[in-house]
Amino acid sequence: MRAQLFIASLLVSLPVAAFDLGGLGNIDLEKAVKVVQKVQKANADVSEPQEIDLGGGIASNLLGAAPLWDNPPVQRYVNKVGRWLALQTERPDLPWQFGVLDDNDVNAFAAPGGYVFITKGLLARMNNEAELAGVLAHEISHVLRKHHLQALKKGARSELMSDLANDAIKSQGGDPRLSKLVSAGTEIYARGLDKQDEYEADRMGVVIAARAGYDPYGLPAVLQTLQSINPNDSNLALMFKTHPALGDRLSLLDGLMSESLADREGQPDLAARFAAQLGAK
Amino acid sequence: MMKRLSLSLLLLVASSAWAGDAAYTIRATELKAKPYGDAQTLRSLPPRTKVEVLKRQSSWTQVKAGTTSGWVKMLSLQLEASATGRRSDNGLSALFNVAATGRGGSTVTTGVRGLSEEQLKNAQPNPQALRAAKKYAVSRSEAERFAEEGQLQSHDVDYLSGGR
Repeated sequence: MRAQLFIASLLVSLPVAAFDLGGLGNIDLEKAVKVVQKVQKANADVSEPQEIDLGGGIASNLLGAAPLWDNPPVQRYVNKVGRWLALQTERPDLPWQFGVLDDNDVNAFAAPGGYVFITKGLLARMNNEAELAGVLAHEISHVLRKHHLQALKKGARSELMSDLANDAIKSQGGDPRLSKLVSAGTEIYARGLDKQDEYEADRMGVVIAARAGYDPYGLPAVLQTLQSINPNDSNLALMFKTHPALGDRLSLLDGLMSESLADREGQPDLAARFAAQLGAK
Repeated sequence: MMKRLSLSLLLLVASSAWAGDAAYTIRATELKAKPYGDAQTLRSLPPRTKVEVLKRQSSWTQVKAGTTSGWVKMLSLQLEASATGRRSDNGLSALFNVAATGRGGSTVTTGVRGLSEEQLKNAQPNPQALRAAKKYAVSRSEAERFAEEGQLQSHDVDYLSGGR
């Protein structure tokens, strides 16, 4: 709006005689205004309520693909660990929602607005609460940095993202264009995020776990465990396809962590509480 | 009483999770007497030395190299992929009913539900399940109480920058 006014006032203030617009001036002006509008739209961000609504739709799709594990004590436990981690971040008051999916696949998912899910198959390969915290904190980081929203903006539905940001699509009320965005958001799980986003989530995840008082080496320990699973195991196929190689992730963390997190190494991993909580069914 | 018993049983299982895994060094590594950088060096291990994993403690892993036991940096190791497609059991997978036989690479995932690429692309919303999930959400004060119970103390730690 402001830029539109600016261009209009610029044209008005120019001495008319200086330009031979040849009758095409108006068309060019319209074009210029449209370009400016487009740039504005592309840069607009969806609001936090819109982000939460969109994320809820994506989370609902995920739960359509794999059900929630019917184990209330474990669901509650994972929510406690996750919420405590989220409190250490720059977005402590999102409606954070964590869950364990009843699936043997080894994977974890985040959706915009504070939704984080891990599979039972991944949980089964963890040894303590610090490892759980490391994985949840990696997913929390995707939400903090809005990685999925960025992927949507860059993808085939970027115009719909602009429309959502500009309130041309309401995030509630069943607009079919919103369902298209939700589908596109779900498809990101099949395609994967940007590699750099995964590295960033690793870097942030170990710090969030350390802030929360956990042994920061939980996340690298899980990644190392996954390295020991036969790479042909179909339970890992999608996780491997959508993430950078485990060896690369580990060596990047190794260099950074030994420099900066050395004084957080003695923090607890709460193996006992983890075992007790998971056996409580 | 019952709960106590099952707890200690599980603890036993869980704490042995890393034990017995085969691993090898991915670079030249010092085998230390204790899990500290300035601890006595027992041996220098060249790259690709085979070791047996005993346990992990933060950034250190206790291993047995030949007849010598000691500590190496965890990330100087790579665990061997186990022949069955699964690492040694952490004891919880049986509890969770996770397929113990290890699905081979040839298994084709079929059916409507599941987390394969195709299934995610065709996922249908389940708002009911989402509402059910919300029941388990935890408030700020509950989370703080939980942290206190575990004696978890929060600290200021800056995010790590760069990397690549």
